[in-house]
Amino acid sequence: MRLFTIEKRPSPSGGLVLLTSVLAILAALVVAGIFFWAWGASPLHAYRLILQGALGSKLGLAETVRRAIPLLLCGVGLTLAFRALFWNIGAEGQLLLGAVAATWVALFSGLEGPWLIPAMLALGFLAGAIWALIPALLKARLGINDVITTLMMNYIAMYLVLYLIHGPWKGPQMRGFAYTDFFPKAAWLPLVPGTRIHWLTLILGVLAALGAYILLTKTKRGFEIRVIGENPEAARFAGMSYTRTILLVMALSGGLAGLAGVGEVAGVHHILRQPEQISLGYGYTAIIVAWLAQRNPLAVILTALLLGALMAGGDVIKASLGLPFQLVNMFNGLILAFLISAELLMRYKVSFRPRRKGWAGRPG
Amino acid sequence: MKGIWIRVLLVFLLVSGLGLMPLLIGSAAGAGGNLKAGFIYVGPIGDYGWSHAHNAARLIVEETFPWLETVYVESVPEAEVGTYIDRLIQQEKVDVVFTTSFGFMDGTLAAAQRYPEKIFAHCSGFKRAPNMATYMADFYQVYYLNGLMAGALTKSGKVGYVGAFPIPEVKRHINAFTIGVREVNPTAEVHVRWIFEWYNPAAAKEAAEALIKDGADVFAFTEDSPTVVQVAAQNGLPSFGHYSPMFDFAPDYVVSGQIVHWEKFYLDFLAKVYAGMYNTTNLQDVDYWGLLREGAVEAGAKPGMLINPKFEGALKDKKVRICIGIHLPDSTCIGVWIEISVYELVMLRLEQMKDFEMVFDPFTGPIYDRKGNLVIQPGARATYDELLTMEWAVEGVVGPWPGEP
Repeated sequence: MRLFTIEKRPSPSGGLVLLTSVLAILAALVVAGIFFWAWGASPLHAYRLILQGALGSKLGLAETVRRAIPLLLCGVGLTLAFRALFWNIGAEGQLLLGAVAATWVALFSGLEGPWLIPAMLALGFLAGAIWALIPALLKARLGINDVITTLMMNYIAMYLVLYLIHGPWKGPQMRGFAYTDFFPKAAWLPLVPGTRIHWLTLILGVLAALGAYILLTKTKRGFEIRVIGENPEAARFAGMSYTRTILLVMALSGGLAGLAGVGEVAGVHHILRQPEQISLGYGYTAIIVAWLAQRNPLAVILTALLLGALMAGGDVIKASLGLPFQLVNMFNGLILAFLISAELLMRYKVSFRPRRKGWAGRPG
Repeated sequence: MKGIWIRVLLVFLLVSGLGLMPLLIGSAAGAGGNLKAGFIYVGPIGDYGWSHAHNAARLIVEETFPWLETVYVESVPEAEVGTYIDRLIQQEKVDVVFTTSFGFMDGTLAAAQRYPEKIFAHCSGFKRAPNMATYMADFYQVYYLNGLMAGALTKSGKVGYVGAFPIPEVKRHINAFTIGVREVNPTAEVHVRWIFEWYNPAAAKEAAEALIKDGADVFAFTEDSPTVVQVAAQNGLPSFGHYSPMFDFAPDYVVSGQIVHWEKFYLDFLAKVYAGMYNTTNLQDVDYWGLLREGAVEAGAKPGMLINPKFEGALKDKKVRICIGIHLPDSTCIGVWIEISVYELVMLRLEQMKDFEMVFDPFTGPIYDRKGNLVIQPGARATYDELLTMEWAVEGVVGPWPGEP
């Protein structure tokens, strides 16, 4: 005799989404609060500082937006790949390749002046796209697992960057330390005054989100992407080309990640340095961004900002509270874990015996 | 699909609403007439290496000066240093900022220009400003002393060295160590493995084990964890601690090591800032370079223990003939030959380097690199710039050496 039954909920209502999300965030705050309290920090005081640090000041808002830029570019690309059920775990490496291409243009191409930035963006997109096409071809032609290849390509990209900064690209001005020299000023992305927001890449990110949304919802190609993702068998019977679609989404996905890499080196670092310093895990965090956005490119604008706010808020835990940096990761992880877990409660409902109506007060 | 919109909107409303609340509650900071210093570390303070040592010094100065308040941030990515400086200055209201990694150099310089009324000090770099000084404590003399001991203790003639990155700082340490090893054991070799990270216990373990397989039987390293000490001890082999006192990790096997005393710098610098001797206009030429003479570094298994008593006997038994004076490459000595034990030699060299005149320095010519080029002329000493840009490998170093001229 079962005490309760679990049923699929066809389409969760707005009220239910609201309720579960509030509960998820509150639950995460309560659990994280236990850890803050155990470390001797008042949880309420901590949350106040975190919120103020992420969104309650000009500095915090600017940092939130700056962190959101690479997440937005990578996240939009990932929604396209995920829609076609291609599991691109390789945005991190594609981002690094964009950074490498931009560095080459800035330091070694001989280009100067106003042509530098457009060339960096173009080559950065191209390099990310080519890096992403390798696992796409391996999957489409040979059926090799995309999760493994895209992930492993990240490590190759990391070691490529390490090789370049320790070897041929090591900067003569850096006294033997493993960095390239600084980019010429013409290769620095312009910033919003008083902040560190490189707005050109931000605009590209928003345009990419709009473009990807239109591609997915308004074009025949987008229709094919969705059909292939939802029912590959049907797509094949309808004469849609799997290879062509996968190559398209991965070229876009990798290219956008490459643009994110250009934004980081040309907007933040102005130098090529160690891979884990160039990307603070943006390529991996973007997977969560795309997933929280439920693979909708327009929603990525908001989820990228949300994750950007979490990253900026994490700064405060370290700077103002003097708590161990591991607590930052734990805090962010708890909020994300609870939010993603809450999805289950939106898609399914639990009914206790005797059966009655849904506990949100609506007809099941 | 509309669910996601409501969800995200909600998060933002919640967050921004609460974000305004603190204005009613007031600020936490409140230093009146006192000095507040912010420390920015590149690694975790639990690394037991670089950042741990800076943080230990921070605690000492905070304890020492009643007028001083400190805050710190750990594990700061290099390019984020500007953001954290903004936070420390705007939100924590600090007056002095210390940044402790070479990669923070340009971010710190930019911040020094952004906040001309604040004081900055950057560790290990070479760019300064009227309100930004530089400081560094260097271990090369200590590594040389450790090298003397290692040369006496190795039986296989192979000493293992795990290096973090092939950069001048680490190359300088390996070279000084090797010069020490070869001074007491002219045919011994120092085998080097790089791990390309400052803190990676797994890679350090792998490197140390590979060196053991190659026949190395004494170990030194430049990496921010006690891994090499632990691996060596598990195999019953002696080693030298790095950065923090590592005696306690293997009391039977840690011979000596390198210990830093960053507080020597922080105490001096902050006292001078507090007294008004250092201000926002006169730091352009302030560059601290701390060696044994300054007390910024110490040779020892732990503070006050230069040599682990377990190894004193072996070092006293090993006799060497050394030239007091100038030792020419054809083994002639302009000066006198004396025969002493390695133990006495260590004591002699330590006193010579601690001397106000610093009558001895390991990088005194003639020194040849392993390709046979004369890199330091007979009788000359490596200059500050030569030390800071050292790329060559001295005779006796074995293994890959990226960037070798």
